[in-house]
Amino acid sequence: MLELRDISLAITDRVLVHPFSLAVAAGDIVTLMGPSGSGKSSILSYIGGDLLEAFTAKGDVVLNGQSLLLQPPETRHIGRLFQDDLLFPHMTVGENLLFAVPRLPKAERLTMVTTALERAELTGFADRPPHTLSGGQRQRVALMRALLAKPSAILLDEPFSKLDKSLRGQMRDYVFSHIKARAIPALLVTHDRKDAPIGGRVLEISNEGVVRDV
Amino acid sequence: MGGFARNRLVKALRSGLMQAVRRYLGAAPLVLLFLLPLALSLILLLRGLVDIQASQALFQHPQFSGALKLTLFTGITSTAASLMLAVMITSQNHRNILQQASVFLSVPHLALAMGLGFLIAPTGLLARLIAALFTGWTLPPHWQTTQDSFGFALIAALVLKETPFLVWAMASVMQQDELKQRFARETIVALSLGHGLHASFMRIVLPQVLQRSLWPIIAVFSYGMTVVDMALVIGPTQPPTLAQLVWTDLNDGEVLANARGAAGTLVLSGLIISALAMIFLVLRITRPLQRQWMTLAARPEIRSTVPARIIWPIWAIIYALVIVAMALQSFSALWPFPDLVAPHFTTTAWARLLQDASPFWTSVVIAIVTSCLALVAVIAWLETQSQARDRIALAAATAMLCLPALLVALGQYRLLLLVGGTGTWVGLLFAHVLSVTAYMLVMLTGSYRAFDPHWQSASRGLGASRLTFLSKVKWPMMKASLLSSLAIGFAVSIAQFVPAQLAAAGRFSTLPMEAVTLSSGGNRALIAVYALVLMALPLIAFQLSSWASRPRWRTA
Amino acid sequence: MKKRYGVTVSHTKITDTAEVVKRVRDEVAAGKADGSVDLVWINGENFRAMKTDKLLFGPWSESTPNFALVDVEGKPTTKQDFSEAVEGLESPWGMAQLTFFADGAKVTNPPRSINELIAYATQNPGRVTYPAPPDFHGTTFLKQVLYESVQDISVFAKQGDEATFKQYEDVWAKSLNELHKVSWRDGKQFPKAQADVTNMVADSELLIGITFNPNEPANLVAAGRMPAATVAWQHKNGTIGNTHFVAIPANAKAKAGAQVFANFLLSPEAQAKKNDLKIWGDPTVLAVSKLSEADAKMFTSAPAPGSVSIPGPALLEPHASWVALLETAWLKRYGQG
Repeated sequence: MLELRDISLAITDRVLVHPFSLAVAAGDIVTLMGPSGSGKSSILSYIGGDLLEAFTAKGDVVLNGQSLLLQPPETRHIGRLFQDDLLFPHMTVGENLLFAVPRLPKAERLTMVTTALERAELTGFADRPPHTLSGGQRQRVALMRALLAKPSAILLDEPFSKLDKSLRGQMRDYVFSHIKARAIPALLVTHDRKDAPIGGRVLEISNEGVVRDV
Repeated sequence: MGGFARNRLVKALRSGLMQAVRRYLGAAPLVLLFLLPLALSLILLLRGLVDIQASQALFQHPQFSGALKLTLFTGITSTAASLMLAVMITSQNHRNILQQASVFLSVPHLALAMGLGFLIAPTGLLARLIAALFTGWTLPPHWQTTQDSFGFALIAALVLKETPFLVWAMASVMQQDELKQRFARETIVALSLGHGLHASFMRIVLPQVLQRSLWPIIAVFSYGMTVVDMALVIGPTQPPTLAQLVWTDLNDGEVLANARGAAGTLVLSGLIISALAMIFLVLRITRPLQRQWMTLAARPEIRSTVPARIIWPIWAIIYALVIVAMALQSFSALWPFPDLVAPHFTTTAWARLLQDASPFWTSVVIAIVTSCLALVAVIAWLETQSQARDRIALAAATAMLCLPALLVALGQYRLLLLVGGTGTWVGLLFAHVLSVTAYMLVMLTGSYRAFDPHWQSASRGLGASRLTFLSKVKWPMMKASLLSSLAIGFAVSIAQFVPAQLAAAGRFSTLPMEAVTLSSGGNRALIAVYALVLMALPLIAFQLSSWASRPRWRTA
Repeated sequence: MKKRYGVTVSHTKITDTAEVVKRVRDEVAAGKADGSVDLVWINGENFRAMKTDKLLFGPWSESTPNFALVDVEGKPTTKQDFSEAVEGLESPWGMAQLTFFADGAKVTNPPRSINELIAYATQNPGRVTYPAPPDFHGTTFLKQVLYESVQDISVFAKQGDEATFKQYEDVWAKSLNELHKVSWRDGKQFPKAQADVTNMVADSELLIGITFNPNEPANLVAAGRMPAATVAWQHKNGTIGNTHFVAIPANAKAKAGAQVFANFLLSPEAQAKKNDLKIWGDPTVLAVSKLSEADAKMFTSAPAPGSVSIPGPALLEPHASWVALLETAWLKRYGQG
């Protein structure tokens, strides 16, 4: 379970988001909406541990009963997906995936990569440079990469907004089903209502910076 | 619960402390290597700032007024000509212009001046070609092609060297991603409004590019006004430029002459500042005219782009000829005038280089060490300091590059004398590292800060530590920028003359110092050898860097 | 050196000895006792400057063993450096005399006075010049012109001042003006250094070269930088000559080592080596008559091509104070092109 306790956000002296609390249970995908500049992405950064210095955030982030605040980003076990797939351009698809695999015997790690590629329906793509893949393919690799790191929660920062309309629905279903299969809490940030999973909880940051359910 | 809270507090304190330590440690290299010495050097310049006696002695120097006029003439003319040519070159769509410019950029000023001399002097390659092909001269012509009273040879050498620098500066502005797209869109708009391609460039793109290239232009002007090594090789003596006059005085045995030299550097700095102030004033006053030119005046159209298109290739030809002239010279001993090549081919000069290889190795080792040190310092700074602090570092670096080299060198020298560092390895290293750091800081800050922070979020979200992220993701992705700034640092270090000469205290000799000493020793084959080596080293560094930073695969 | 005397010598190249004077002065001013210079090749103005400002160690030079071999009678410049008494502050090392040279195939009848030089230049305009002072060849040339413009040169052995100089300035400048009219670049520019003149002579851009080392032309021939037909000469009524020395700065770190080395430089063996055209060709300060027969043999050899074939007597340098007078007057008159 991912819990946000009395989280608030400000930039210099201006309050962007007033304190709010939220708990996301394992397997749930909660959507946080808001206009651009409302601070929704910065809240994800705060959870992930790399909030820019210009911002100040308060409140506790608790994952499975442990506070994350004093931990560096790499030990928080928080996976991230962004608008851009952020596949490392100097590594092949396979190397990108391998980058995320935790320390294990080599054979085991390679098997995990092969399995991940199968799940992404990209068998045989391991040695391809990322730029030779289509947008949808790349985003699938990005998701697989995030999941290979065995995250305990995942943050989705408008991961569909750069995809074509036709691809978007397909990709959304793909991402949500894989997250649900992992049974980890997920927090999705978007400005498009249609991105939210059907039946999931949706919150919105108002123009005044107040977070409430819609 | 109490224990838990205390535990958390300790953890929080420790993490805060770590952050503070990291911040200080990260800033330390740049502060110690660059900011602090630069500040101290500049403070030490204030000593004897207003030495009335020395200033009077300077003004009474029989060559002062002539030197002043000559300096203004060569400085302003060379900057204006370089700027004009650079504008013409960048107005054309040359492919790979940045890379080509950086090749010219890597040639040290001194080597170019020496090589140009071998090409255009009355006994140079050109005169020999003309003698062989057309005139049948038996004695060299009475050309005033080097060391002419107006300093045209010096201007030519400066223009040859500075134009590529300005081209590089302007082209890098034009190729910045967001600007490139904007310029393309704006040009389309201008074209759709009926402007020609040339008019669109001159009225829309150029003013924006020039505005962003202000510092490089000022650096070129400041360099042209204060250049010592080039003037020593190819400039006039009756009178010399002010910088030469000052340099002679600074190296004189008499105290009074030294003080006069110090006063001269200040006069020179004042001259640059007032000339710049004048130019800005003129620009400000004529702003309505400029606006009118952009809107109301007849659209600037040219019938032919041929002249602009051939300038850039001509640059390559001249540099190639210079290299040929130097190569021929380096294998000759006696080379009587009308002969197109020397009668005897000899490798004596090259053998001498190998025999006394210590200046070569001193230069190479110092260049490697300083560029690596500077890279570490710059990266440590950029990784640990907030972006807001870059302004301090960049302001210092820009000041360093725009202030007269003589002035900064004099401050550095005083600092070294104060701490007893002259004639030591550390002192020599220090004399090189300041400008190396300044150049690398300016080169790297922009691209380093532009690196998308999402890469870090994504990597660390995958469980990568900061170090893993840096070594496996960020630095490999930035390989091209890092290596090319390293190559620039190397080239800058190889070319350092004035501060190095002062700091070395005669205990060490570097390639440019040796080359200048040789140019007063007259063995032209040896001079050519040194000039060629001075040219070759930075070129090798650039080739290595672009070879090492070639992408793993071609992206579309 | 290390093997025989336990002294490590490291040679430092400099463009101008004045730089060393400045360095020592800066170091002493900064209170640096273990200076960076142990021994410096010096004479004339630089010696006077260092002596006056007490930047030299000594007296020491007359007590080195090999000093007894120096030709102090026949070569008075070994004790009078530009009319400045040496007083044991520097040790003589080599001899110099203003010498002219040219390609004998092009200059068949060498001009043997300033007036003949002017006449020669009038016939071959633009092919004669001299290096710009403060290059010491240029400065020496100015002194030579001064000597040849007046009847009695004894006045220049004494301290000079502007009033005394005024009496001679006009005749001196008249000669220079005549020469400049027919000089390289019409006398509006001058080569920066003697070495440039030499190069230009080798290229035949100039026809007459100038040197302070009588053996340099032969040296250049040996190095293949001048043709074998090179001739070298001195003026009928003599040219200025002097001695160069080595001195120890007051703040030198290794004063004892420097003295050992200076004594070695005065040894017949080192002097003969230095005198050898193949090595350097710098004339000796020793009196060959004072040497043992075996040692003396090392100094006699057949004249090489390019050696001085038309010698003239050596004239004493004027008092060092004349340098500034001449250089300043020259800069005022000709420094602006």
